[in-house]
Amino acid sequence: MNLGRTEQRIRWLTLGLLFGSAILLTVLDSTGLLDRVTSFVRNPLVGITSWTSERTDTVAGALSGPRNLQTALGEIERLQAENETLARENERLLEIQAQYQVLQELFNRAAETPELRRIIANVIGQDPNPILQSIIIDKGFDDGIRVGMPVEAARGLVGQVYRVTNQAAQVALLTETASAIPVRLGTTRATGMLRGAGRGALPTIDWIDLKYQVEPGELVITSGLGGKFPENLVIGRVLSVERNEAELFQRAVVQPAADFDAIEMVFVVTDFETVDTDVFNQTP
Amino acid sequence: MGINIYIAIPIMGLLAVIQAVVLPRFPIAGVTPQLLFLVALAWSLLRGPQEGLLWAFIAGIWVDLFSMAPIGVSSLAFMVAVGAAALVQKILPPRRLLSIILLAGLATLVYLAIYLILLTALGHGISANGLVELLPLLLLHILLIVPIYLLMQSLLRTFRPRPVEL
Repeated sequence: MNLGRTEQRIRWLTLGLLFGSAILLTVLDSTGLLDRVTSFVRNPLVGITSWTSERTDTVAGALSGPRNLQTALGEIERLQAENETLARENERLLEIQAQYQVLQELFNRAAETPELRRIIANVIGQDPNPILQSIIIDKGFDDGIRVGMPVEAARGLVGQVYRVTNQAAQVALLTETASAIPVRLGTTRATGMLRGAGRGALPTIDWIDLKYQVEPGELVITSGLGGKFPENLVIGRVLSVERNEAELFQRAVVQPAADFDAIEMVFVVTDFETVDTDVFNQTP
Repeated sequence: MGINIYIAIPIMGLLAVIQAVVLPRFPIAGVTPQLLFLVALAWSLLRGPQEGLLWAFIAGIWVDLFSMAPIGVSSLAFMVAVGAAALVQKILPPRRLLSIILLAGLATLVYLAIYLILLTALGHGISANGLVELLPLLLLHILLIVPIYLLMQSLLRTFRPRPVEL
């Protein structure tokens, strides 16, 4: 009888210990107190992760060829049609390019172009949590990566460094709810704050003044305000605009330029010139 | 129980690497199955909730080492789900595949709900569309629990470890 009670106590104790540990770890990690310990544990994992990633790439490449043959034939037809459209568009763009080059030369003479320092990193993993959206890259603290640095792919901004270990870093995608990026619209020059809406939803720009007539298709770039991101990094295009005259501001839904499911390589912007805000510090 | 910790740590570590690196390259209906959770659940169904909870705890720690989520969040979600499955398991016919499928469905819903609550409380959110996108995960877990369960059952029979009751 006593043995039964003791067994019962041990069971409850084990259960309490496990749940208590999990809660304690969550609280400690949320407050950043576990950073050193988790970095120590995460560092050796990078080598294994990189090795596995390279092998997986090889296998995925070998498997994707024959399986996608029919898809590829359909894709060729679609691309041929698209090619004709693009050829027409290309002629128009050549004219614009000629004009642009003249303007560009003038602009270059007038303004200093800030040089962004970039580090190339390979994407070696994704967040195993189905709700969160982040990627793991193979460059870390030892390579000069720091928390908060902007990360971009060839087609546009991807997000921001969220966590760093010695040889790897975790990048929170700009679609994450914790993401907030000051942006500017290409045509209207309106500014706003791009906020992630989480998995399954596109990010939106809040706080756009109603005086701007924002149209779908407008380019979205970083404004550089706040100093966390350089200016003029491409983010995507406006997909739709939510405008209500009764409200003070309008919102725009943005289609990011980067394809987050197909990112293999990214640039981490390690150094850039921030927007000069000294004018606000001057006494009138 | 002691030996199981030593088995669980490397197994879950290996599965965590596969989960973070390999599975995202081969998504099914836009999602990847949560392998570590399914293995912890299968272990619980085969060896009892005590060992299942321990495996769920270790699985969660490994998942969070590769995730943006704070360490411990996945452990909590996995343990509550495995615990809920263990409670319902008592009223279902033992060791029937249909029961196992039902338990996997229930446990997946519980685990997603706990994840959602905890992550929302910690400042991460998900849209209604995002929840709909996660529905194939439920189907995927229902389909995958059977082969995982049978595989682990055959492994257990091969190695025949002595069950330990606390």
